[in-house]
Amino acid sequence: MAHRILIIDDEDDIREVAALSLETVAGWEVITANSGAQGLARAAESQPDAILLDVMMPGMDGPSTFRELRKNPVTARIPVLLLTAKVQANDQRRFADLGVEAVLFKPFDPLTLSNQIASVLGWN
Amino acid sequence: MTLSKQSPIAEALDRLWAQFLPEMEQRVATLEAAAKSFAGDQLSIKQHEEANTAAHKLAGVLGTFGLTRGTVLARELEIMYSRENGPDPAMASQLAEIAAQLRTMIESRK
Repeated sequence: MAHRILIIDDEDDIREVAALSLETVAGWEVITANSGAQGLARAAESQPDAILLDVMMPGMDGPSTFRELRKNPVTARIPVLLLTAKVQANDQRRFADLGVEAVLFKPFDPLTLSNQIASVLGWN
Repeated sequence: MTLSKQSPIAEALDRLWAQFLPEMEQRVATLEAAAKSFAGDQLSIKQHEEANTAAHKLAGVLGTFGLTRGTVLARELEIMYSRENGPDPAMASQLAEIAAQLRTMIESRK
C-alpha cells in the first residue's frame, strides 16, 4: 500500500533528497512544505499517513508546529517523526518528551530512511 | 551508505548534488569568511550566527550525499560556533583549516 507522507523542512536540499528517497525507494506519495505554517495547511488538506518534521526552522520551528498539529482535531492523530541534526543528549530528550512517534537524525541514509519510518510506524 | 553508481537513486542524488552545489559552496564561503574574521578579531554577532547556521546545515546534509567525513567536520565547527561567547581563541587556525577541508571535499565529490 502506498503511504502518503508530508515532509516539512525549510532546507530545499534535505526536502528534495528525502522526497526522492521515499518516492523512489519506498514508492510512497510525498507532499512537501517549506515552513511550519505551510506544513499545518498541507497536513489539514491532504491528511497524510505520517509527517516528517524538521526541528530547526525559521519562524514556527518543529516543536511549535507539532503542538499546533496536535491542537487541530483534523491533524491531531497524524503520527509525527521529528528530523534533526542536533545530536546532543539534552536536545534528544527534549524532543522525545514532546510526544512525537520518533526522533530521526540528519544526515539520513536515503536508502534506509523509508525503512526507519516504516519500522517506527509498524508499516513493515 | 553503499550506492551503486548505476542505481536510479544514485543518479538522482548526483543530479540533486549538482543542483544544490552552489548552496553548499555558499555555506562553506560563510565559514571561510567567519574564520578569517575571527582570526582578525573581527567576528560580528551576525557573522557568528551565520557561521553556526551554515555549519549546522552542512552537518545535516553532507552525510546524506555520502560525505560522512564532511558531516563530522561540519559538526566540529558547529560545536565551536555554538559557544555563547564565540569560538575559543586557541581554535582560530582550526576554524580555517576545517573550512578549507570542507571546500576540498565538496569540490571533489563526483
